[in-house]
Amino acid sequence: MKTLNEVLESGLHGLYYGNRILLPFRADILKAIIENDIIMDFSSNSVGGEYNVYDDFTEIYFYEYKDISEDVTEFETIKLILVEFGEDIFDFKNHRKIALHVKEHHKLEIEELNNDILLIE
Amino acid sequence: MKPKIVTFFSGVVVFLFSNAAIFAQEAAGQATGVAHHALPETYTVIPFILLLLLIATGPLFFHHFWEHHYPKIAMLLGLTVVIYYLAVMHDTHSLLHTLAEYLSFIALLSSLFVASGGILIKVDKKSTPMLNAVILFFGAVIANIIGTTGASMLLIRPFIKINRNRIKPYHIIFFIFLISNIGGALTPIGDPPLFLGFLRGVDFFWFIEHIWYIWLPTVLFLILIFIMIDSRNKGEENGEENFSGKIELKGLKNLGYLLIILISVFLDPAVLSWVPSLEPLPFGIREIIMFAVVYASYKTADREILKANEFDFEPIKEVAYLFIGIFATMVPALQLIAHEANVLGNRLDAGIFYWSTGLLSGFLDNAPTYLNFLSAAMGKFGLDINVTQHVKDFAAMHPLYLQAVSVGAVYFGAMSYIGNGPNFMVKSITERAGVKMPSFFAYMIKYSIPILIPTFLIIWLIFYYGAG
Repeated sequence: MKTLNEVLESGLHGLYYGNRILLPFRADILKAIIENDIIMDFSSNSVGGEYNVYDDFTEIYFYEYKDISEDVTEFETIKLILVEFGEDIFDFKNHRKIALHVKEHHKLEIEELNNDILLIE
Repeated sequence: MKPKIVTFFSGVVVFLFSNAAIFAQEAAGQATGVAHHALPETYTVIPFILLLLLIATGPLFFHHFWEHHYPKIAMLLGLTVVIYYLAVMHDTHSLLHTLAEYLSFIALLSSLFVASGGILIKVDKKSTPMLNAVILFFGAVIANIIGTTGASMLLIRPFIKINRNRIKPYHIIFFIFLISNIGGALTPIGDPPLFLGFLRGVDFFWFIEHIWYIWLPTVLFLILIFIMIDSRNKGEENGEENFSGKIELKGLKNLGYLLIILISVFLDPAVLSWVPSLEPLPFGIREIIMFAVVYASYKTADREILKANEFDFEPIKEVAYLFIGIFATMVPALQLIAHEANVLGNRLDAGIFYWSTGLLSGFLDNAPTYLNFLSAAMGKFGLDINVTQHVKDFAAMHPLYLQAVSVGAVYFGAMSYIGNGPNFMVKSITERAGVKMPSFFAYMIKYSIPILIPTFLIIWLIFYYGAG
């Protein structure tokens, strides 16, 4: 299992298939923004989104989208606020902001958000 | 499905071009004010009403269906009216005139949208009510130079970023009030309705000359209310954060593109006699320059700035598709309203035009609403909106009516998210930044009705009550 820092440093990518994305690290998702949808309720399995943490990866489903590659265009991103698994979720310093760029061949480029891209917690 | 519709629509456009000779004859008739056609049947406004209702409700109640199918819906509704005019009324003149107007409209909006999307402003200052007030006033002013769309696109991200530690929905709502709407009441570039008025023959500087004394107190009054609300917001204490006070502007070459757009607005044979007319083509030199700016400003834009602005063609694509439908379906509505106003005559005063233009602009789109009521106000005096000289005469002889319609269309565009194009764009950018915005109805109940309606009432009492 890789940490988020290792993933960012080595430039590892995630994957997407339809409305499901796979991230190569383990994390608790606090907030997800895709298009105009701000998803914070991950409790339901019929609307908004759902995420599951496995031994080697984290998966997220976006129920309102059939295929994210059709909705997220070249300069757009899926934005996440997350806490790496095992970190203290109550410490704001552990809240990480990442952007996912949808690329070809089901690849998701993972990038830590810089100050230019807006994401309000 | 989509390619078939596009092919069909292209076919109609080709058909219109093939009737260019008829258009040329009728254009000659228009110059003398004799291009008149029979009135369409009342039921022909149904596609227009249906489209506007769908625009209002689609994004709210069936968001994903609407997002995927709005181009087909808008085009199909537009086509029903186009076919009616071709097959039943044999009126190609109205359609070609509308096509020319649409191309001018979308050329301006898309060029402002793309050029401003390649500019990035960074302001590293601490958020204070006074700084926010200065930004809102600055935005209201530049909305008249780069349009409410351009000013909104340019300033919304720095505005959110400055307020990141204390941002609340009211920040964005006042931004929509002032920069996305009311600010742009002074020039035809400011807001699409006024640009449509300019295309019909209203002088470029007419608006600033006749509206500034309503604009300035309205803007200052709303900023005062904003300061009172914002002063109570202490936000998060963030002592660790240091602010350099620096203001950084990236993508300077796009300011040059904005200047080109601004200059090209005047490149119209009706404004400058030396500008060649490309008739019977439904566009001119101005539109060619504006579309060239769209291409050049996107191709030469700094990719990092586009990425930082999360630039996406979707908002302008949406406007382009929807307005094909709006422009086509509103043709019979325009003609019928002008006729009705002619019949109703003296019963309509400036106040009625202010409220009726305004209230409809708040919930329908303000650009076609403006044309409808300008047409109606002119009809009251037996003037035809399709005749440029009539529009000029109307602006000179009945400025109160033109002012009431212009102020109503621009100001009331702030009443709801659907009142003006930039409103939705600002909401969308804000939500993509993670800030939850009020729903369609909450926007009105919490903000626009309690703040804007009293403001608009004061304007009516001072300027239009018992006048005209």
